[in-house]
Amino acid sequence: MKAQALTAVVQPRRRPLNLALWLPVTVIVLFVLAAIAAPLIAPYEPNAQNLLGRMKPPGTTSRAFHYWLGSDELGRDLLSRLIHGARVSLAVAFTAALLSGTVGVVLGMLAGYLRGWVEVLVMRVVDIFLSVPAILLAIITVAVLGPGLVNVIVVLALTRWPRYARVAYGQTLSIANTPYVRLATLMGAGPVRILFRHVLPNILGAVIVVATLEFGLMVLFEAGLSFLGLGVQPPTASWGSMLSTGRNYLGNAWWIATFPGLCLFTLVLAINLIGDALRDRYDPRLH
Amino acid sequence: MITLIFFVQRLTGDPTFLLVPETATQADIDALRNTLGLDRPLFVQYLSFLQQIASFDLGRSVVQNVPVSTIIASRLPYTLQLAAGALTVACGLGIPVGIVLALYRQSAAARMLAGLVFAAQSMPTFWSGIMLIMLFAVTLGWLPPSSVGGFENLIMPSVALGLLSMATFARITRTAILDELTRDYVRSARARGARTGRLLVRHLARNAAIPVITVAAIEISNLLAGAVIVETVFAWPGLGQVTVQSILSRDFMVVQGVVLMGAFVTIALNLLADILYSAVDPRIRLDGVRR
Amino acid sequence: MFPIHKNIIAGTVGLLIALSTGSVLASKDRFVVDLVNEPSSLDPHVQWNPDSYAVYRNVFDNLITRNNKGEIVPQIATSWKQVSDSVVEFQIRTDVLFHDGQKLTAEDVAYSVRRITDPKFGSPQLGQFDKITKAEVTTGNTVRLTTNGAYPALLAQLVKLSIVPKAVVEAVGKDAFNLKPIGSGPYMFQTWQRGVQVTLVRNEKYWGTKGPFPTAVFRAVPDAATRVANLQAGASDLAVTLNSDLVAPLKNAPKAKVLAEPTERVAYVRLNTTKPPFDNEKIRQAVALAIDKAALVDGILGGFDKPVGQMLTKAHAGWTPDLPAIPFDLKKAQALVKEAGPAAKLEIEMATSPVFDQRIVQAIQQMLVDAGLNVKINMSDMASYLKRAQGGPEVVPALSFGRWSCACLDADGVLFPLLHKGSPWSAYRNPKADVQLEAARQTLDSKKRIDAYRSVNQMVNQDVPLVPLYQSAAIYGAARGLDWQPTPDESLFLNRMTYKD
Repeated sequence: MKAQALTAVVQPRRRPLNLALWLPVTVIVLFVLAAIAAPLIAPYEPNAQNLLGRMKPPGTTSRAFHYWLGSDELGRDLLSRLIHGARVSLAVAFTAALLSGTVGVVLGMLAGYLRGWVEVLVMRVVDIFLSVPAILLAIITVAVLGPGLVNVIVVLALTRWPRYARVAYGQTLSIANTPYVRLATLMGAGPVRILFRHVLPNILGAVIVVATLEFGLMVLFEAGLSFLGLGVQPPTASWGSMLSTGRNYLGNAWWIATFPGLCLFTLVLAINLIGDALRDRYDPRLH
Repeated sequence: MITLIFFVQRLTGDPTFLLVPETATQADIDALRNTLGLDRPLFVQYLSFLQQIASFDLGRSVVQNVPVSTIIASRLPYTLQLAAGALTVACGLGIPVGIVLALYRQSAAARMLAGLVFAAQSMPTFWSGIMLIMLFAVTLGWLPPSSVGGFENLIMPSVALGLLSMATFARITRTAILDELTRDYVRSARARGARTGRLLVRHLARNAAIPVITVAAIEISNLLAGAVIVETVFAWPGLGQVTVQSILSRDFMVVQGVVLMGAFVTIALNLLADILYSAVDPRIRLDGVRR
Repeated sequence: MFPIHKNIIAGTVGLLIALSTGSVLASKDRFVVDLVNEPSSLDPHVQWNPDSYAVYRNVFDNLITRNNKGEIVPQIATSWKQVSDSVVEFQIRTDVLFHDGQKLTAEDVAYSVRRITDPKFGSPQLGQFDKITKAEVTTGNTVRLTTNGAYPALLAQLVKLSIVPKAVVEAVGKDAFNLKPIGSGPYMFQTWQRGVQVTLVRNEKYWGTKGPFPTAVFRAVPDAATRVANLQAGASDLAVTLNSDLVAPLKNAPKAKVLAEPTERVAYVRLNTTKPPFDNEKIRQAVALAIDKAALVDGILGGFDKPVGQMLTKAHAGWTPDLPAIPFDLKKAQALVKEAGPAAKLEIEMATSPVFDQRIVQAIQQMLVDAGLNVKINMSDMASYLKRAQGGPEVVPALSFGRWSCACLDADGVLFPLLHKGSPWSAYRNPKADVQLEAARQTLDSKKRIDAYRSVNQMVNQDVPLVPLYQSAAIYGAARGLDWQPTPDESLFLNRMTYKD
């Protein structure tokens, strides 16, 4: 008998897919497509300044620019910046979530399966990271590594991986004692194989739920870092940095903040709705 | 962990440059660094720091020239106020919403409510903060725009901060109540004709409280961490604000003091949650709890 | 458990309704000033930052001060006499009382000077006063200051020296004095609610012009948008550190208005002349030619600031009249860059920090990119930025934007630190300039000084280690009823304000 034959992934009983789920998914797909096609669909260069056309309302024209959504404090086209900004915000959030997720899940699984000193070490480190305020970690990391897009991703990953680790750990603990995992061990499968073939598929459900919610948080945190001056370098556009600069202009040029704000809001809302729906699907108590 | 913070901070520079006027010469800068004791070898500084900690002395702020404990003591009440306010908003709105969502989850109204709750969690606080200020303070003139003062000053910052956690409480409450609803005792009570409301107050609340309390402990530390931005926007003089300012001005002792305190508070909160947990549910005893 | 929440909600709603009928206006009995940060300390000798300065300037008198036109006029000293190149004698007023009722004597003045120049005291301001070697009382109310050689900037620096009461400081010690400062100024310290606000009350026994407000409160409001909101709502009467875009909504506001005044701050771009590509003089000149100062001033800054052709303003001692400025010529800049070939393609780092006006930084970057240079912005926090900016030519970034002020209105405080090889700020090595700078700070002959600074300014325009951009204006938001002339040295003297409802 091969170990593979015993591999049983516990499937949740499926519910018919909620129609209300499709709307958020469509929104996210649209954003992603816009981000990928940014250079093709953006009307102008996102960083092209026009000092004579600063803070023009949506629909006006100045020199060579027709501002569909208005211009910002340096005369740059808001629409183009929004489209290119989608790239940055999505890329940062996605990469950070992927990075923190991978690190967190692997460490959590190791701690939950191997137990012993591995468990103690990993969970201690998790506690340490969780007790240091995220802002503090962020500022110190930026001060040491310097600013920039890559380092923003590093900062976000550093502050969030413990959450994945905790979830993965808890889930692994409960799975590790199930009969088929024990049987697989008896059959001679090594720990790595067990972890990736048997444990991981079963905890993936819970992890994905966490990941979708974390994705939304990454987007918000990137905005927060920009507010504190630690985000992507100017003049690169990201929705977070546009929102952060734009809030100083709410009185006289509301569009500079409002459009990025709406995009951010829609994206995070869509992610949260999907995450919640996924949570419902995988939660056996609701059946 | 403190060791880590200690050394990493000092890697990033020192406060001298920020303290002196632009016209200071290299000699001036070196002289000030010497007076502040910042040019001693790192190891020596670390040892003297450990000595201080051992005697419960958190050191002095080089920027403000007062003991760190004074700074922390003066900011702590405001942080607690804001945390309490935000928690009130988060629980006060979140828990009822969670109950409604659990009991009436098939209705359209409940789904809209859920949507609103998520919407509240989808905005960065620095944006919702300034929107609140513009609406309630500038345009309507109902509330003071910023800073501390009376009870009315606490409203907007608490709302801005509390909205974030509200969704978490709503979700946890909903799950917990749903959990309870499937239990046998509920079904038998229903079969005997008990109304949902009475059921709720007498039984469900108590049993559902456990996970809510656990989450509350975690949310409090989230709140304290996320308060920085709210504190900056509303000029609320809490610990978060002072931490950020101290990091930016390389006021090491203050940062270390706050982090130490934060660590104690986290441990204390977790302990408190464990105690409450066992108090609410007699089936669980402290020594049987596995983390 | 459940009913409690209902009560809280009901109570809150009730409170909101009750409050909507009340007002949150500040009255002139209580004048509210919004600063960026709270003061770091109120002891005038212990720190150097504008937030503390704004408050303690009203609690302490200085030896001499500047009037609204910028001229040095008596305050605690009624007159002074240059006895020799390195000795000045000051006559001290006899009618000044400290807030605890004790008389201010010449000994307090001498003590204050000795305190701030004592290296063991560790004042960050030491560098501004360390040329004073001796301070002594000669007759009853004459104080004699001796400097190390001729020091032409002495009076300009003494404008910043506050007089503290010797008896009190020696009795309570440095820490306690910091918490409860006692001075002789028009306002007395009342309380300091740490993190929140400092409250001052009017000194009814002040010897000079009394303050118009019975109480003055200085609050810390770090976020600029919130400071503007406070003005619009009438919750504050004066807000500092705003910019032209932020104050736009105030122009038509019912309760607030905009006040602006050019200061002695000059904005500039600094180049590291010791490393490629800016070791090439042609590329440096291209930078100077590529920046359109008028576009910056009129396009972005709202016209409050003034373009300059040198690092000094007319108010600075040592200013060079009729100095030809480098014009804006994009075509010539592009030609120079092309001529330099591959050397100009190097990635140039433009260092900055959130404290600086990011609109200007990004606009300058774009202008240089238009000229053909490869400029990337590198933003770090202020502490990291300063560490590199003052680290000497090896670590100084290739380009940085800053606004320089020495708070002394003297060319020595501007040109020496920026250009002389002995200063940590300088990334420029020119022995001829060093000679002129040293000569100018060691003579009291103003004609000789002007000539020396003229040759330095000409060297700056030729070698372009710096590109002076514009004279910066300080923009304030104020309540409509406030009648106040902001000064070029950005001091907030409460007793020079009046208020009409």
